[in-house]
Amino acid sequence: MRRALSLILAGLALAASPAAAAEPKPTLPPFSWAYQPVGVDERGLWMEADDLEREFRDSRLLVRDEALNSYIHGVLCRAVGEDRCKGVRLYIIRDPSFNASMAANGMMQINTGLLLRLHSEAELAAAIAHEFGHFELRHTLEAFKRRRRSTDALMWAGITGGRNGANLQLAIIGSFFRFKREEEIAADIRSFEYLAASTYRAAASPAIWERMMAEYEASAAARKLKFRNARRPSFVDSHPTDMQRMVYLKALAAEHGDGGEDGVDGYAKALAAWRPQFLADAIKLNDFGGSEYILAELARSGWTKELLAARGDLYRLRGNPRDLTVAAQAYRDAIAQGATDPAIHRDLGMVLLRSGARADAATALQRYLALRPDAADKTMVALLIDQAGATSGAAVMHAESGAPAVSPGSPANAPPEPASGGSAVAGARALAPANDGSTK
Amino acid sequence: MSLRGGLLAVLLVLASPAIASNTLIVAGRSVAVAKSAMTVTPDREWNRILSPPAPNEVWTIDGQDLNELDFFGGIATNQSLFGEKMKRRSRPQPFFNATMLITDVPALLENSYRALININVMAIDQIEPVTFAGHQGIRFTYGYTPRDEVRRKGEAHAAIVDGKLYMITFEAPALHFFDAGIAAARAVVASATVAATKK
Repeated sequence: MRRALSLILAGLALAASPAAAAEPKPTLPPFSWAYQPVGVDERGLWMEADDLEREFRDSRLLVRDEALNSYIHGVLCRAVGEDRCKGVRLYIIRDPSFNASMAANGMMQINTGLLLRLHSEAELAAAIAHEFGHFELRHTLEAFKRRRRSTDALMWAGITGGRNGANLQLAIIGSFFRFKREEEIAADIRSFEYLAASTYRAAASPAIWERMMAEYEASAAARKLKFRNARRPSFVDSHPTDMQRMVYLKALAAEHGDGGEDGVDGYAKALAAWRPQFLADAIKLNDFGGSEYILAELARSGWTKELLAARGDLYRLRGNPRDLTVAAQAYRDAIAQGATDPAIHRDLGMVLLRSGARADAATALQRYLALRPDAADKTMVALLIDQAGATSGAAVMHAESGAPAVSPGSPANAPPEPASGGSAVAGARALAPANDGSTK
Repeated sequence: MSLRGGLLAVLLVLASPAIASNTLIVAGRSVAVAKSAMTVTPDREWNRILSPPAPNEVWTIDGQDLNELDFFGGIATNQSLFGEKMKRRSRPQPFFNATMLITDVPALLENSYRALININVMAIDQIEPVTFAGHQGIRFTYGYTPRDEVRRKGEAHAAIVDGKLYMITFEAPALHFFDAGIAAARAVVASATVAATKK
């Protein structure tokens, strides 16, 4: 064993020494104006990130709204300071999962799923200051070097470790992930310090993790899955658990005090034009419990017409008989509150049709066509209106072969079953595990 | 650990020719598709791509990324289009239900794509009533951009027959390939029949 260890160490020293000798230490922080990367590793990482950034710049998934982009950039500057923020390039990605990341070269990516789940400028500031913290602390570079060291060591352990090789390899893998978690904690703390020094309320950040835990629970519960928020991370978790993050951020908050600005109204206003779209993207992921939780949290200060319309969509898509009733009421409430999107009348009509309320359905569908006479689905909707008006007890356009009209005892009269399941929050999560090597 | 990984890789390589076994579909002969009551008669040669776990059947002319014809045959209540299990943790898909309106089918396809292949931007463009496979159904067009950032166009025909969903979708890059392949796809669609099933 000892011999094996010394062999590994010798191998590592051999492998590491030439590079280590040649690699100069960066003296300036990476956010310095017109900073140029130093050394082979940093230059390589920046080059890769530059390539990735060119792809992002041209991506069809990008939200190019200048007002929204400059608003978020402004929040970053207020959080970390003008001198630090000005070189950062921001990319808002149409992705309903809760995540953000920052590449080594100062490119920040923010998923729309993150924006949807935050409630205030202070929370946004905390989230993006966390990513900025990774950038400032050069975590991508550190992780890259560590990955290289670990894989070198893994190989040497495999070759020379004999019977203990597997244990050694496990230990190396474990330490790799432990370091990653430590970096996440460091970035959380750095983010907290930034906010504490800014005009924002630093104590706002634990609420993000509280809500994420509640969302995962709601998501799992709706699908009758077992789920418990973990108190401690598993062996290969790249992030501390949400519970841990909430706890240590709360401890920092208790120490620091509750002062500062939340900026709830400013945030809501900046997001207003996009929120219906972001909600729609989330709802289409079939995560009933999670989406319902997001809606309920956003509706704490009242159900707006946008939130009501989204709620209608959520229940319409699940489509249990009781869901159709809830959906119809939500659409009607949204219309009563002045919702102007013509599609809401069509969706109301469809829900009523499925519930068997034909006359009301026809009225709603006619309203849709009146508001949008050249709709892309106008012939389809016109046919539905005809059929809704035709006979009572008819099966409308479903479960029916040939003739659009009735067959008594057709599945239309059978009790409907759930149309869709719920789901876990999709994909990588939460300022969370990197999905490629160059970002985190 | 690494040994096991290597073994797995070797097994995958050995197994892959079997997984990717394709079949030539000849022109002018009627074939049953997607192990269902649906039959079609193509007017040109196609290649059937075998993808065992999914209930849908996939045909292509030049390769799946360039043109893809998908057959969904007899999807029943509480089945998903792509055969995922209901309890699947991370990416639950929506399920068909016989009580859906035929106009709910485009959303079923869209939401399956969002869940299954991470499509974050997708739009249904046009929906209209048509006769499909001898039954009243719909035709709808759509577009989406997958991770490769190559914009795809799609056209689908669907009908619900005896409480089961039958659908054929054709998808190809919006640039050139959609227009180049749509005639052959429509010929297949026009030839489709769904045999009356006993209840």
